[in-house]
Amino acid sequence: MIKKIAFVVDKMPYKSESSRLTLTHAIASQTVEIHLDDGDNVEPVLAFIGEGVLNCLKNQKASEVYGVTTLESHIKNALLTDIKLLICEEDVKKYGLTEDQIIMDAEDIGADITSELVPFSEIMSAMELADHIVYS
Amino acid sequence: MGKLTIGCFSSLVGSMTLDFAVKLAEAARKKGHDVDVWLSGNGTMLAKKGQRSFKDYSALEKTITELIADGSNVVACEACAEARGIHKEDLISGLGIKSADWYLASCFSADRVVHIGGE
Amino acid sequence: MAKIGVFLSQHRNSNDTLDRLSKGSFDVVLVQNGVYCAAIKENGQSSPVLGRGTKVYAMSEDLVSRGIEPSQVASNVTVVNFDGLVDLIFNEFTKTIWL
Repeated sequence: MIKKIAFVVDKMPYKSESSRLTLTHAIASQTVEIHLDDGDNVEPVLAFIGEGVLNCLKNQKASEVYGVTTLESHIKNALLTDIKLLICEEDVKKYGLTEDQIIMDAEDIGADITSELVPFSEIMSAMELADHIVYS
Repeated sequence: MGKLTIGCFSSLVGSMTLDFAVKLAEAARKKGHDVDVWLSGNGTMLAKKGQRSFKDYSALEKTITELIADGSNVVACEACAEARGIHKEDLISGLGIKSADWYLASCFSADRVVHIGGE
Repeated sequence: MAKIGVFLSQHRNSNDTLDRLSKGSFDVVLVQNGVYCAAIKENGQSSPVLGRGTKVYAMSEDLVSRGIEPSQVASNVTVVNFDGLVDLIFNEFTKTIWL
């Protein structure tokens, strides 16, 4: 059996640990099988909405400045582990951002999949299709 | 009866969010449901034993001990706890310490999940 | 229909996510400071949270903790305690979101 979990980020990065924890929990789906029966698994979908889309800005340098892993690095790791990653296009537009400012891929670390800029309605559908929602 | 998994990123002292999570866990147990509680981020502060109880601060060690004795699983994120200087020997008796995939497995087998994000 | 239980834990007149969730897909549970939405009027106006056409519940324990008696909440708000909340979670909602 496969159960879908929607991980939804609506908080800005760094000032709060919420978005970082949501990302690390989504990525933890890669090893959940060790706790489950054969054939069972968790299928994650990761979505950024509202102020949460600001986690997706490129060129984060918190690693150099504060010595902590950037949210950019976590987002790229999520792509590397083939987690479906949705970014709300209305909110990207609302904050005056363009696609070239957003982390759309992680080719530099070998990821095959890319982020998807989608309308909120598609993220709502992902939440409705999920068995559980981890919203933070 | 079903299974309720509660995840909480919020800290013990200050927001009273963990108080809410623990009261919900108690109410679910009293109704006969299975309950897992996952503590991550600042929520791991709840895992530490020996916290002095003052009337001005949330104090949940006794309640958590009773929840565990009653069969609930209360588990803290190992990395989050270690980052805060909370080691295995510091934990409330019976409280578990695992990696985040345990929480996802708990969600997998849960009928309902209440995930409470952090401040 | 499968419903999402949206736990509103803060007293705000609007919330981006709440504003955009599909009508009919969710009910609201006012918890922690969210319970002020059930009874406090700003400039004489009830909270917009109460006017969305959704069912609205408010936690009695959080109301009385803040000095608000259940009898003071708006007529379209149903007051529940933790026991009642457990039943809502298992019987009325399939998923939850904490805002």
